[in-house]
Amino acid sequence: MRDKLNIEATSRTPAVVFDFANHHMKISGESYPEDVTEFYRPVFDALDTYLGKLGKGTCRFDFELIYLNSSSAKAVMMLMDKLEDAAKKGAAIEVYWFYDKEDDTMQELGGEFGEDLETAKFHLEKMPG
Amino acid sequence: MLAGQLMDLRSALHAQGVIFAYSGYVTEPVLSGVGEALKQKLTIDDADTKTLRSVFAIFVEQMQNIIRYSAEKAHQALPPASDAGALTEIRYGILTIGREGDDYVVCAGNLVERTDVPRLRERLSKIRSMSKDELKALYKEQLRSDPEQGSKGAGLGLMEIARRATQPIDFDFADVDDEYSFFALKATI
Repeated sequence: MRDKLNIEATSRTPAVVFDFANHHMKISGESYPEDVTEFYRPVFDALDTYLGKLGKGTCRFDFELIYLNSSSAKAVMMLMDKLEDAAKKGAAIEVYWFYDKEDDTMQELGGEFGEDLETAKFHLEKMPG
Repeated sequence: MLAGQLMDLRSALHAQGVIFAYSGYVTEPVLSGVGEALKQKLTIDDADTKTLRSVFAIFVEQMQNIIRYSAEKAHQALPPASDAGALTEIRYGILTIGREGDDYVVCAGNLVERTDVPRLRERLSKIRSMSKDELKALYKEQLRSDPEQGSKGAGLGLMEIARRATQPIDFDFADVDDEYSFFALKATI
């Protein structure tokens, strides 16, 4: 397995930095890709491979999204489901959702995703600065 | 003559408070380009962050609705040597962004098949009548369910528009001929 998945941000897609060696994943920026399936496929694949081998290990996943369109919301839900599944299998998963304090819509959306996490630990926090 | 005609069109838009107008075939790069200009204009207007994000979010969903669902489309068959199933397809619609008093309004219109009108009308009436809490509950339910037949997105776009809007969404249909109706959707922020 690769040590890292590093996808640079574009105007329509978020930066994805999966640091597998340090068990720290991060998605940040804006997400309204032309083709959501095509953009998220390698992200899902990399996370599946990593979580499959995590066992009872620890993992932190940060969402720092400024804006996501409705089809990206579905992709984020699938990421959350993968993290929850891994937590149910014994991994210690910490999910952080950072929101811009100027936009309560993203805070509310984070809260809605968080409601579905039972075993993975969810944190809803303001973006620093 | 030429200047007069084009100025009349511009004046008609101005009179309705329209700042941006696009009528024609819509593609994802069109969305990107108009979207960038829209962000710049909202920044120049000194719109607050939440208004800027909401106007932009509604613009994206409205444009993607045209790209995915407009019944008015042009096809170009690829040469036989290329992927047999592939067609390049572009869809036609109109989108305007404007001001009404202190509010922003994003309107989109496109043709739909008349047979789809009752289903669409029912869905929009339901969304229009819902409170923010009811919309939130339906949004979550829809997020968890499989997309409806004929849907190319997550089926969440219309709800996203209603949630981001500060007033109930407005919609209307006008029959064009036996086969098609013109569908218009207006969101106020």
